[in-house]
Amino acid sequence: MNRFTFARMLPLALCLIATMAHANRLDEIKARGKLVCATLSGSEPLAYQDPASRQYIGFDVDTCSALAKRLGVQLEHRPISVEARIPELSLGRVDVVAAAMGYTKERAEQIAFSDIHYQIPLKVMVSSKSGIKNFAELSGKKVSANKGSTPELYTRSKIPAAEVVTYQDSPTAFLALQQGKVQGFAVAQAAGARFVEGSDGKFVFLDESLAYEPTGLGVKKGEPELLAAVNNALKDMESSGELEAMWNKWFGPSTKFKIVREKKLTPLSAF
Amino acid sequence: MPDFNFGAVLQGRYLDWLIAGACKTLLLFFAAWISGFLIGLLVVSLRESRARPLELLAKAFVGYHRNVPGLVQVFIWYFGVPQILPEAWQAWINDHGSEFFLVWIALSLNAGAYMSEDLRSGVRSLPPTQLEAARALGMTFVQAMRVVILPQALRVALPPLTNQSLSLFKSTSLAMAIGFAEMTYAAHQVENESFRTFETFAIASVFYWAGSFLLMWLGHACSVKLKAGRAAR
Amino acid sequence: MIEILRDYGVLLLVGQFPNGPLGGLALTLCLAITGLIASFPLAVLMGIARTSPIAAIRAPATAIVYVVRGLPVLMLIFWAYFIVPILVGHSVSGTTTLICALVIYELAFMGEVVRAGIEAIPAGQVEAARSLGMTYGQAMRKVVLPQALVHMTPSILSQLINLIKNTSLGYIISVNELTYAAYQVNAQLLTKPFEVYLILAVTYFVICWLLSLCVNRLEKKLNRSSTRNPTKEATA
Repeated sequence: MNRFTFARMLPLALCLIATMAHANRLDEIKARGKLVCATLSGSEPLAYQDPASRQYIGFDVDTCSALAKRLGVQLEHRPISVEARIPELSLGRVDVVAAAMGYTKERAEQIAFSDIHYQIPLKVMVSSKSGIKNFAELSGKKVSANKGSTPELYTRSKIPAAEVVTYQDSPTAFLALQQGKVQGFAVAQAAGARFVEGSDGKFVFLDESLAYEPTGLGVKKGEPELLAAVNNALKDMESSGELEAMWNKWFGPSTKFKIVREKKLTPLSAF
Repeated sequence: MPDFNFGAVLQGRYLDWLIAGACKTLLLFFAAWISGFLIGLLVVSLRESRARPLELLAKAFVGYHRNVPGLVQVFIWYFGVPQILPEAWQAWINDHGSEFFLVWIALSLNAGAYMSEDLRSGVRSLPPTQLEAARALGMTFVQAMRVVILPQALRVALPPLTNQSLSLFKSTSLAMAIGFAEMTYAAHQVENESFRTFETFAIASVFYWAGSFLLMWLGHACSVKLKAGRAAR
Repeated sequence: MIEILRDYGVLLLVGQFPNGPLGGLALTLCLAITGLIASFPLAVLMGIARTSPIAAIRAPATAIVYVVRGLPVLMLIFWAYFIVPILVGHSVSGTTTLICALVIYELAFMGEVVRAGIEAIPAGQVEAARSLGMTYGQAMRKVVLPQALVHMTPSILSQLINLIKNTSLGYIISVNELTYAAYQVNAQLLTKPFEVYLILAVTYFVICWLLSLCVNRLEKKLNRSSTRNPTKEATA
């Protein structure tokens, strides 16, 4: 092979090697020794900063740690916003997203979902003084939501007569409700529970649910090895009772939320 | 290379959102420009009034708006101020489009502070004898400012004012953080649902470039016309 | 308000450091200074290109400046967020994205500052330099730029103030700088947004205002020195 042909083959070979090296994200994670796992921030008790230790803690953070432990690597935690979850995965910036990721068919076209590790209703929070009792009474009113969240999507389809106003994050959207700028706040029950609990009865969830949402972990599309590893880790956590223990630690009877995890780990094929 | 599909973004409710976003940006810009300009005139008059407390007030006003980021100013007006207002006022504002109202206030004050500085450089460029002559002719300070000083200062201040208007036009994008559905917010919304990042951002960018060029051309045309008018005299 | 400072002061100041990445006010200042230093050489090149006698260099430079100046900084950040990983070939952190966006922003704006500085040097200087046998490049490097850069220092510091203010937009892409840290505090407290944002505003105000005082002092000093020693300038 003369120099010329070699020079032309080299970039091609490098590309092939590069694609082969990148093809398996799981091996990449093991080689780097770190799992980059993203969660929300400011969303008690899913993922938030403990003011005393200035560390991130919460149900999703614990899920990430357990996942990293089972893959045999360190955890590198990253906070992201709700609307950045899918871009961060598709652009390959993070390995796993554990951030109240509700499963929808549209999202499944962009990223790969793990098995569903909890399902909770998406609800609308209102002020108890407003006297609003159901979705019909929200017509012509404003409802806040987190940008890019499933409550935003479902509010548009289920309460079309309401105006949806989106904010960068849940605390901001709740603040808008608190200050009367909107009359409802659409949020998943697990994420919104702390606002209701901390309000001394000033805010309540409406009985009606927007949807009953299956929540799972997200990984980049086209990485079957990583997806299988994540699913195996989840199965292990479920059968050993670790998943249930984590849920009870953050949402269980000893906490202020007292939400029961009715549906256990369910394979994605069921949806 | 990913496939670009502008058609997918420029149809149905995505197109409605984008057009509404463009209209809201223009509405916020014009409203904030007019009130900002008036505030600028007021503040520059305070600054040049030679009454110490008024001067200090004007200096503090300008200092605050020039040293605090625009985003923080918007947050303070949207989330902070309503907290300290009485309930009745809060309710009134909320019933009358709080997003627009509060971000309009924030942007007007911000633009007013910067414009007052530009106008001040215009006023400074005039010989002090102008004001003295006007006062000697019997005008009050306010009359002198209104009839003699400010019109001339405006001519000098036109280039920096054009820059400031451009800055205001771009600052309307800050309103996305507080839920006002202007162009950047609308582009985000479309992007979140359609997953077509490049196309939506490209459309929003074209909108901002078009607006910027229009503003710069307008400023240039105004300054040419004013110079021509002056030369003719 | 004192309790807020007492409970969350460290969070606002340094984020999670040393148990995690740097954040808060420390990160804000690091971002601004890094942005300034990284963009400075590019801005000087841009200023030179903008004043170049060769149209093939001047036109694209002018186009770049108009393109960057026509967009809000927020849009620049979103574009950087989207494009930088594609250019670099692997994922980048939010902090890196923000720095890239700030560098592009400063490239245009500080480039204009450099251009103004270069144009402020009397043409006679360049003519004298050329007639002494210097090439355009030598004249630029030895005569024009040294003087221009010294006179531009107050404007460059003003750009630092602008950078510090623009880092607040990192909140939108979850970079843990001062505004985002304040949002974290607000997310915990929920009922005291006015106090939290007031603390935020005061912090920015104090820093930017102190810097602007430095800018004013520098300007006065430079004006005084140039009027006192006009001959010194001509023979520089």
